[in-house]
Amino acid sequence: MSYESPIRDQLVTGGKTYRDVTRDITRPLENAPSKGWWIGFSLSTLVLALWIGATTYTFLVGLGVWGLNKTVGWAFDITNFVFWVGIGHAGTLISAVLLLFRQKWRMSINRSAEAMTIFAVICAASFIVSHMGRPWVAYWPIPLPNAFGTLWVNFNSPLVWDVFAISTYFSVSLVFWYVGLIPDIATVRDRATTKARKFWYGFFAMGWTGSTRTWHRYEVISLILAGISTPLVLSVHSIVSMDFATSLVPGWHTTIFPPYFVAGAIFSGFGMVLTLLVIAREVMNYKNYITIEHLDAMAKVVMVTGTMVGMAYITEFFVAAYSGVEYEQYAFLNRAFGPYWWAYWTMMSCNLLAPQVFWSRKARTTPWFLFVMSIIVNIGMWFERFVIIVTSLHRDFLPSSWTMYTPTVIEFAILFGSFGLFFFLFFLFIKFLPSINMAEVKSIIPTHAHGDHDHGHSHDHNHDLAEKGALHGN
Amino acid sequence: MENKNQYWRGLEELNKDPKFMEAKKHEFAEGIPLEEVFTEEDGGLNANRRDFLKYFGFSISAVALAACNKTPVKNVIPYIVKPENITPGNANWYASTCNACSANCSILVKTREGRPIKIEGNSESPVFKGATCGSGQASLLGLYDNERLRMPMANGSNSTWEATDKAIAEGLTAANTIRLVTGTVNSPSTLKAIAEFTSKYPKTQHIQYENNSLGSIAEASKIAYGKKVVPGYRFDLAKVIVSFGADFLGTWISPVEFTKQWVSMRKAENKNMSRHIQLESTLTLTGSNADVRYPIKPSAEGAYLVSLYNKIAALAGAPALGTMPTVELPLDGISTTANELWAAKGSSLVVCGTNNVDYQLLVHAINNLLGNNGTTVDFKNYSNQHYSDDAAFEAFAKEVEAGSVDAVIFYNVNPVYSYSNGAKLAEGIKKIKLSIASNTNLDETSSVCKYQTPDSHYLESWNDNEPKAGYVTFTQPTISTVFDTRQMQESLLRWAGNSASYYDYMKANYGSMSKDSWNQAIHDGFMVSEVAASTVTFNANLSETVAPAYNAYTNNKTKLELKLYSKIGVRDGAHGHNPWLQELPDPISKVCWDNYAVISNATAKDLKVADGDLINITAKSGKIEALPVLVQPGQPNNVIAVAIGYGRTAGGKSGLNVGKNAYPLQTGSSIEITAEKAAGEYELAQTQTHHTIEGRALIKEASLNEYNKDAKAGNHDHHKALKENGNLLTLWAERDSKGHRWAMAVDMNKCTGCGACVVSCNAENNVPVVGRQEVLNSREMHWIRIDRYYRFHNKDNNNITKENEYKLEATGVDFENVSVTFQPMMCQQCGHAPCESVCPVLATVHSSEGLNHMAYNRCVGTRYCANNCPYKVRRFNWFKYRDNSQFDFHFNNDLGRMVINPDVTVRSRGVMEKCSFCVQRIQAGKLKAKLENRTIVDGDVKTACQQSCPADAIIFGDINDEKSEVRKHFQNDRSFFLLEEYNVQPSVAYMTKVRNVNEDLAGAPHGAAKHEDHKSEKEVEHHS
Repeated sequence: MSYESPIRDQLVTGGKTYRDVTRDITRPLENAPSKGWWIGFSLSTLVLALWIGATTYTFLVGLGVWGLNKTVGWAFDITNFVFWVGIGHAGTLISAVLLLFRQKWRMSINRSAEAMTIFAVICAASFIVSHMGRPWVAYWPIPLPNAFGTLWVNFNSPLVWDVFAISTYFSVSLVFWYVGLIPDIATVRDRATTKARKFWYGFFAMGWTGSTRTWHRYEVISLILAGISTPLVLSVHSIVSMDFATSLVPGWHTTIFPPYFVAGAIFSGFGMVLTLLVIAREVMNYKNYITIEHLDAMAKVVMVTGTMVGMAYITEFFVAAYSGVEYEQYAFLNRAFGPYWWAYWTMMSCNLLAPQVFWSRKARTTPWFLFVMSIIVNIGMWFERFVIIVTSLHRDFLPSSWTMYTPTVIEFAILFGSFGLFFFLFFLFIKFLPSINMAEVKSIIPTHAHGDHDHGHSHDHNHDLAEKGALHGN
Repeated sequence: MENKNQYWRGLEELNKDPKFMEAKKHEFAEGIPLEEVFTEEDGGLNANRRDFLKYFGFSISAVALAACNKTPVKNVIPYIVKPENITPGNANWYASTCNACSANCSILVKTREGRPIKIEGNSESPVFKGATCGSGQASLLGLYDNERLRMPMANGSNSTWEATDKAIAEGLTAANTIRLVTGTVNSPSTLKAIAEFTSKYPKTQHIQYENNSLGSIAEASKIAYGKKVVPGYRFDLAKVIVSFGADFLGTWISPVEFTKQWVSMRKAENKNMSRHIQLESTLTLTGSNADVRYPIKPSAEGAYLVSLYNKIAALAGAPALGTMPTVELPLDGISTTANELWAAKGSSLVVCGTNNVDYQLLVHAINNLLGNNGTTVDFKNYSNQHYSDDAAFEAFAKEVEAGSVDAVIFYNVNPVYSYSNGAKLAEGIKKIKLSIASNTNLDETSSVCKYQTPDSHYLESWNDNEPKAGYVTFTQPTISTVFDTRQMQESLLRWAGNSASYYDYMKANYGSMSKDSWNQAIHDGFMVSEVAASTVTFNANLSETVAPAYNAYTNNKTKLELKLYSKIGVRDGAHGHNPWLQELPDPISKVCWDNYAVISNATAKDLKVADGDLINITAKSGKIEALPVLVQPGQPNNVIAVAIGYGRTAGGKSGLNVGKNAYPLQTGSSIEITAEKAAGEYELAQTQTHHTIEGRALIKEASLNEYNKDAKAGNHDHHKALKENGNLLTLWAERDSKGHRWAMAVDMNKCTGCGACVVSCNAENNVPVVGRQEVLNSREMHWIRIDRYYRFHNKDNNNITKENEYKLEATGVDFENVSVTFQPMMCQQCGHAPCESVCPVLATVHSSEGLNHMAYNRCVGTRYCANNCPYKVRRFNWFKYRDNSQFDFHFNNDLGRMVINPDVTVRSRGVMEKCSFCVQRIQAGKLKAKLENRTIVDGDVKTACQQSCPADAIIFGDINDEKSEVRKHFQNDRSFFLLEEYNVQPSVAYMTKVRNVNEDLAGAPHGAAKHEDHKSEKEVEHHS
């Protein structure tokens, strides 16, 4: 049972009881989907179809349908990849790092943040495959024993590090998310009224009994997984950044990249969490669980990480000037004042300037404004990767090879379509799985509310407890 | 002998122990527990239902999986009777003669299993010395042109040779006037065949015609010396070269021969480089290699020639020409030029590229005054190349128009396309009773003729050519005719009633030769004979030339003029349907697949146009509409230059509607035009879009003076780096450098930028053609490219500084006056290759011989290597370029694919590729040495680019071989590595460009301002 500080604000408002929590959170699972869900799901399915179409077309015809060329070998593809990987980071940060730091406010948002991580990594992985010239041999960078002779992977290549980083990240995130889901799935199982639901939720609940021993093990495994995940928050994007940092390309070859990318990833991840939660709390009526205080806290993170990223931008300029390397100097001048200046200044204004409004509490606590800001952050962070990748590549060492990159409609379709993939998965998630961690949220609702509500209803206490899932823990 | 001795294995055997005898019957003494295995309950054969399902399921899925891998059936049909001399896998080489243009270079043709797959220069030839140009290299593809005429045609339908010959012979007999219009014919046997034809049909007149005529040179020779020939020019003997618009390194008369000659005088190490001054109306390849270049208007050329003549005459004590009109010529360089020429008299050379008899006469006169006849201007071994008779063709055109020609035969000419009034000529030809074209394709002229009697490709033909007097070079077939074609000489003989094969006919011409010496001559590919010495005396009145020259100048001083020029790939348009040549970037503009209006910056502003706009050009004789604009540094103001050879309307799809035909505007040496902006926009496909070098130290230059004083001039930072090289940190282990280590040196002082290497590489390495749209998308596939950089000067002829380069307008940059440097760029085969360390699947790895290999099969196509390549030499297969109708070039048809080099993989979609240093040639060289039981020696292996280079600018070899040329070049003080501060340890060294100029260059590799050393120029003038 949690300790209630008399001076801190309640993390869950509205005087919710255990029963309320269970009812509120399982409502979307147990009832026919709302109109809003249908609209959102259909739209994202349509966009997903666009993604499937554009990706299939690319696979069939070749990467020539994109706007890449002899000088700019990566553009939208890797921009999107890094963008999606970055998005994922907030989920891990919220669920793992904040768990270790015992930040209880994370409890109502960690589930969807983790789901977001998983879906974002799926989107990112799709770009790893689709950016390859021969996606049908996409498994070759994995060190598998093979029948091709003595072929092995190149452990010097950051792309191989990527393979490990992303696959580890994905599997750890998936396990962490799933383990966290088990008690809640059990709750849904126990409330199930149809055979099919009982079977499937029962299957995924893995025989959860709610005994003290299972709870104990649940806590332990959560802590262990949090411990494993925490370094991943730092390592994954550090390794992604090394795709660039270990290369020769002026504008990529920068030691500041790992911390700068991690900060950027958290920044963009929180941006995306904000986008999702501002909608979710509105659409699914979770305002008492995802409170204004949550939004406020996330806005603070956004402001801090945005400023860190901005500092990195400025540091890069300083280092370029200080290094005395003319290629490096030109690369940064070209970023800011070359033909892609608009991308650079979009990045600067979205990532460094815009988040400064969060110095004002009013800005941090106005949901519609936060939503607008979160979109701005997402745009800014997408452009950050675009700026890093394209403006560095298109004018590197030999001016004879300098050229411009112009994306094609197919690339836009794949970028846009990847949001379809993401939201398609997300809508399925909120329909079929509890999108707020009931078990944990129950641990932070005020105990007096519990007492108030249940008083005088002891005759069906057991029934109540079963309904609330309280038999399984708290 | 039978062995009677008895042997036994042991006592058991000797004693015939029954136990042993029983055991002996079994192969395995211990016995095999078969029974057990088969009766055991779970492993036994008595499988239960579950086991049956397991085995069944496994077998079905195994078979299904195995069947998934569809292995295509490909038939390899071996020779039933192996032809003599053909061993599959081994190349055969035949000496022959290139017929891509009438320069007729001696070549070697490489054949594999009976297919010609590569053309190389014949290095034994004393005239051509073993090099080729881009057009020559690409002419190979003409053999495999899917659109060649496949059989004779009569009146638009397919026919047979018998029927066609019969009809033609009847027509010729009935004809009263017969005209045989050919290109340059310098083949003695062909001339004899023509003579035989003419004697059979005495009403025949033979007219030689060239698309881009230089007939005025021979005409002027006739006036001046009484010999209607083009003299042989000797740039290898010329210390001072003055060229009035003659692009002799690129397209003029015999560019390979001239490049070889020119470059022999451009060796910086000789301390005494030739001085090359170019006055021209558009920036040509030759102009871009000149030491001094004056942009002039075409109309001013005559006046400058007169002025130069007069200045030299003054020095020679000869009378000046007529009275000097009182016009001020803007160029004061003429007097310097005259002084320099005079100082080098006897070993100087003046040439002029304009087809104007007056100008050519003046050139002859100047060379005569300078005493160059007999040295640099050779009337003994005169040239038979590029000969045409303009007056005769004009007369022919009038006859056709008047309808007074009964029969016409076209051979290897396309006047309907290239004559200034081609449309009218076509109308006339249609009315001629008997019109025959023997062109290989159904081109513009061919398609208006009644009969098409397709000539065979020269690689299918016999011939002898005499490009230079006393030098006969033979053509021998390297493949039997691909289609039912017949070489034109044989057609002429048939029509003349001679049934001999052309080979016998030709051989009979050399009847005095023994069989052995004949075979030797065919084997060698050429034959040299002594020509009687010839002295010429100049005898012409030049006074007539003065007034027109000055009038042209004064009348056109402020007017807009048109300059027609030919581009190095497509040249006069004869090869317009050759995709290799269309995709060869113009050396200067780097544009592929188009011609365009070349306009100076100032004139573009006057006309209010910019790159990407279209203009209409109107001359008296016609107009070109909607021509794209290209603002070109180095272009003189008020001159618009347009390339001929484009805008083909027939003859092959690759040339169709590519660019606009400028021939209709060709009416004289100076063409007055008006131009105005047209509606619309058009983007030109350029392989290099950023023109300046941004002040980077990628190119190193020195003036000859500086170089003579200090061999390291301009290259000090490299030598400093060499000293400090030990301090460079590296993450990677130093590679073992035992055995071979292949390396290349590129002498930027020699490279003219002609692009022969590019086409040669395309042919050798099966580089796909990607077409205009993909070049626009910056996706050309060339493994070697030639980077071209300009150096700008301001109005005071000072270099523009790096800082000022960003604001070109403000610094008063002189856009007419630029220096050009070419830098061939191929894979640098880095020792510490940045591409290798980033490939996730080890598809690009280092060989023990210092090569950076590319394993296409392993490539997954992440393109990380290309991103990390500082030289950007890697090329990605964005599409499948073969069997793809989107890329309808030679890789899209079976015939075109016959050009594929079987030693080089054709890359599939989605993999990276790049220059391999012609690894297949290295392997072949090593194998050959091994078979001959010797070590490989320098020169055994030549890369394709090196072999075709007419300037010998590329040197390849084993750096570990102490005697190798490449090692010597690496140790040369001029050598440096590109981006060497990155310590990627390239295997390609570049060598400082040395210009024979008076200004200091070495101090300004970054384009920093350096004031011209006026003193030294004065000194030079005094010297001269």
